[in-house]
Amino acid sequence: MDTKKENESKIEAKDGRISYGNLLFYYIENNSSFRIEELMGYDALILDARDHDFTRLIIKRIRTHYNPEFYLKPVFLLNVKPTKDPLINHLHDGIIYSFDQVPELANIVRQIFLLTTQLDYNLPNSFQAQTMKKVFNFMHTRETKTLRPHIDVNSIVGYTYPELSVSFDDREEAQTLDILEWAEKEGLIWPDFHERIYLCNNCSSGFLSYREVCPHCQSSNAKSEDLVHHFPCAYIGPISDFRNPVDNTLSCPKCSKTLRHIGVDYDKPSVINHCNNCDNNFQDFYVKAKCLSCEQDIEVQYLIPKTIYLFKLTKKGRSAAVNGLFTASQEVEDIFGTIRPEVMKVMLHYEVERMRKNSALKSSVAVFHLENIYELYNRIGAKSRKNLIIELMNLVRENIRPSDYIGLESAATFYVSMIDTDPAAAAATANNIERSMQTAIHKNFSAFEASIRHHIEPLQIGTPVDAQLQLLAKELFN
Amino acid sequence: MHFLDDFYAYVTSIDLWKFVRIFWFFVFFEFLRFFVLDFLTVSLWWLTRRFRKDRTRRARQELFEQQPLISIIVPGKNEGQHIFRLALSLKEQTYTNYELIIIDDGSDDQTPAICASLKRNGFINLYLRNDVRGGKASAANLGLRYARGKFVVHLDADCSYDRDALENIIIPFFYDIRVGAVGGNVTVRNYKHSLCATLQAVEYFDTISVGRIATSELGIYRVISGAFGAFRREALTRVGGWDIGPGLDGDITVKVRKLGYKIRFEPNAICKTSVPVTFRKLIRQRLRWDKSLIRFRLRKHRDVFYPNETFRWSNFISFVEITYNLVLNIKWYVYIADMVVNFASYIPFILMTNILLYTCSNVVKYLMFSLFRTKRNEPIGYFLPYLPVMVIYFGYYLRIIRSVAYIQELLFKASYKDPWNPQKTSRHAKALKI
Ligand SMILES: [Zn+2]
Ligand SMILES: [Zn+2]
Ligand SMILES: [Zn+2]
Repeated sequence: MDTKKENESKIEAKDGRISYGNLLFYYIENNSSFRIEELMGYDALILDARDHDFTRLIIKRIRTHYNPEFYLKPVFLLNVKPTKDPLINHLHDGIIYSFDQVPELANIVRQIFLLTTQLDYNLPNSFQAQTMKKVFNFMHTRETKTLRPHIDVNSIVGYTYPELSVSFDDREEAQTLDILEWAEKEGLIWPDFHERIYLCNNCSSGFLSYREVCPHCQSSNAKSEDLVHHFPCAYIGPISDFRNPVDNTLSCPKCSKTLRHIGVDYDKPSVINHCNNCDNNFQDFYVKAKCLSCEQDIEVQYLIPKTIYLFKLTKKGRSAAVNGLFTASQEVEDIFGTIRPEVMKVMLHYEVERMRKNSALKSSVAVFHLENIYELYNRIGAKSRKNLIIELMNLVRENIRPSDYIGLESAATFYVSMIDTDPAAAAATANNIERSMQTAIHKNFSAFEASIRHHIEPLQIGTPVDAQLQLLAKELFN
Repeated sequence: MHFLDDFYAYVTSIDLWKFVRIFWFFVFFEFLRFFVLDFLTVSLWWLTRRFRKDRTRRARQELFEQQPLISIIVPGKNEGQHIFRLALSLKEQTYTNYELIIIDDGSDDQTPAICASLKRNGFINLYLRNDVRGGKASAANLGLRYARGKFVVHLDADCSYDRDALENIIIPFFYDIRVGAVGGNVTVRNYKHSLCATLQAVEYFDTISVGRIATSELGIYRVISGAFGAFRREALTRVGGWDIGPGLDGDITVKVRKLGYKIRFEPNAICKTSVPVTFRKLIRQRLRWDKSLIRFRLRKHRDVFYPNETFRWSNFISFVEITYNLVLNIKWYVYIADMVVNFASYIPFILMTNILLYTCSNVVKYLMFSLFRTKRNEPIGYFLPYLPVMVIYFGYYLRIIRSVAYIQELLFKASYKDPWNPQKTSRHAKALKI
C-alpha cells in the first residue's frame, strides 16, 4: 500500500484526507465516528463500504441532510460488497477498489459541481414541494430523469424510490407514494405503470401473509380433502370415508366395492375442507391477509390497492431544479393565530403609515427559518406535521405581545412583527423565540437538534414593505 | 236429438246384470279400489279426527320442547334464482332450528355467485358444489353426508312452502318412534295457467293428496315426493342414502320401509309446485315417472314379494297396490277388446255412459273429500266444471302414456338412457340391474 502511494505522487492520503490535484476527498473508515459537519470544505467523500449497515447509515445521513452542501456531496464507495439495498446501490456516485482509482473520480466530481452551480435555492412553500425540490436538485446534478422503483425489503411497502425514500424512515415509506401522487398532480412527473401492490389498511405495510381461512371462525387450521363420488351406488363423501384403515385401499362405505379406475367407476367432483378449530365443513375458503407489521387480519377486499409507477420528469419537473418550484401551499393555511404573508404586508403598510405620523414610534420585523425542520417532518407523518406547526406557532405567540402578528410563509419560514418595540428589545424577544422552539423540539422529538436562524430589521418609513421583507429574507439566507 | 233419444232408450233398457256385464271394468276395478276403498279410509280418517287432533297437539309440544336440528337439503343444477327465493322464504318458517344445505350439482350459470352471497349473509349454512355433475342421487347424498340434523328434509328449489310446512312435516315423527319418513302434501301452484295445469291440480288433489291420506292410514303409502319429504337422518344413513334415479323418491321410500320404519303422509305440510303447462311436456314427465315405477318395483325391489327375513305384509301390500295399477292397465285393454268384440254396435252409448259414471263418481268423491280438507287454497267450485274432462285425462290420456312407458321399460330398459342422469352413472345402474 505504502509503496504504491509513493509512486502515485499526485495522490496524498493523510488523516482521512485524500487530495488529488485541487480536489479534496474525505475518507471515512469503516465504523469510524463521523460528524457530518466535518465534510465542510471537502469536495467529495470516499466511504469504506465493507459493512452494509454502516454504509447505509452514512449514506442516509448525508442524503437526508437539509443543506445542499451536504446532501449533494459526491459519495464513492470503497470495498463495497454486493447488496440488494437500493439505498446503497442507487445513491452513490461511483465504486472504487483502491485509492489508485481516485483520478478517475475527478471528472465525476467536477461535473456534479458544475451542475450544482446551476441550481436555484429558493425555498418552496410546502412540505411536498420542499421534499420534491430536494429530489429534483439531486437528480439534476446526477443527470437522471427517471424516478425508478426498486424492490426493497427494508421499505414497509416493499418498494423504494431511493432518491425520495431516503428522506423518510423505512416505516413511513407510504408517504413517498403520497408525495409522488401530489407531484404527479402538479404535473412535475409522468407515471408509467410498473407494478400493482396491496397495502394494509391499518399501517400501510406491504408485507402481508395471505392465507385461506375458515369462513366461520377465520382459523387457518383446516384440512382439505377430495370428495369421491362412487357411480354404482351414488355414494359421495370425502376420500377418508373410502380409506380402508387396514391395508390403505379405497373401498366404498355404502356398497363395499373397491374403487378401481377414476372416471370409470368413480370420480372426484370437488374438494371439501374441514376446519379443525370450529368443526365446520366448507368448500370456499376466505382469503385473508395478515399484516406482518401490525398483525391486523384483513379481508382482501379491504386492502388498499396502490400502483407502483416508474416516473419520468416532465418539462416542468426538469426545470424545477434550476428555476425553482412554485406550488400552492395548503398545509400552512388555517393555522390558528397566524396570517398569510400577503395580509401581513398590508398590516405592516398601515404600521408604516402610523410611524410616519409619529416619528417617536419604533417597530421591527423578524424572519425565522427552521433549516432542518423537514428532516423532522419527514419522520413524523402528515397529521403530526400539522400539529407540530400549530405547537410551534403557539410558542411564538407566547413570546410576543397580543398586538403583534405572525406571517406564516411556509412550514419552515415565518415572519413576526414587533410593533412599538426598539431593536434591542426585539432582538431579545427573537432570541427567546428561537430558544424556546429549540428546547421544545429537543424535548419532544428524541433530542432532535433543530437548526434555527433568524434575522431582524427595524421597519423603515422610506422603503416599500414588500422590498423590506425581501431584503430581510435575503439577509437571512446569506 | 235422435242420438240422445236412442241413448236414453239404451240406458233405461239396462238391468243390473247387464250393467255389471258391460261396465265390469268400472264396477270391479275403478269403483272398488278408487272410490269405495278410498272413501272408507278417508271416512275413517275423518271419524278419528278428534284423536288425531290430540295426538298432533302432543307431538307439536314435544317437537318444540326438544327443538331438534333439521337439515334441509336442496340438490339441484342451475337453480340459483330459485334458491335465492327459497332461502329467503324459509326465514318465514314457524320452525326455525334448521340448517340449509344447498348442493350445486355442476351448475354452469350464476348459481355459485348467488349461493356464495347467500352464504355470506347467513341464509345458507352450507354450500357444497360438485364441479362435475354427478346426478340428483349423488347430490342428495353429498348433502346427507354433511347434514347434522336429527331429521333431514329434502326440498326442491323451485317449490314454495307454507309457513308451517316444516313444523307440520316433522310432527308425525313424534307420533311414533318407528316413523322413519314423512311425505309432504304437494299441490299445484300454477293451476290456473292452462287446462293441462288445472287437470293436474285436480289429479294431485285426488290421487296424490287424498290417495296418500288413504294409503298412509293403511300403512301402504308408497312414494315420498322429492319436492317435500322428511326422514330420520339415521334411517337415511342406514340405507346408504339415495340410489341412482330416476324414481329415486320411490326407491328411498321402499328402502326405508324395508328397514321396518313406518312411512306417513302429512296433508297439512303443504308445498306448492309448478307442473308442466302443456300436454307435450306432461307426456315427457309422466313417461319418466312411469318407467321408473316399473324399474324400481318390479326389477330392483322384486324381493318384497319373496317371503324372506325382511318380508313385511305392509311392504307386500304396497307392492301389490302398485302391481294392481299395472294389472289394471292390462285389464283395461282387455275391457276395450271385450267391448269391441261383443258390443261393437253400442260403443258410442257405452262410451257416453262410462263418461257419465266416472264424472258422477268423481263429483261425489271430490265434494266429499273437499269437506275433509283442512286448508283450502281455492274454492272447490273452480275445479267442478273440469271433472268431466278428468275422465278423458285419467281414463285415456294418462293410461296411454302409462302403457307406452311400461312397454318401453319392460322391453327396452329405456330409463337407463334417460339424459336425466349423467351417462357415467347410468351405465353402472344398468350393469347392476337396479
Ligand atoms: Zn358404492
Ligand atoms: Zn372454523
Ligand atoms: Zn398493518
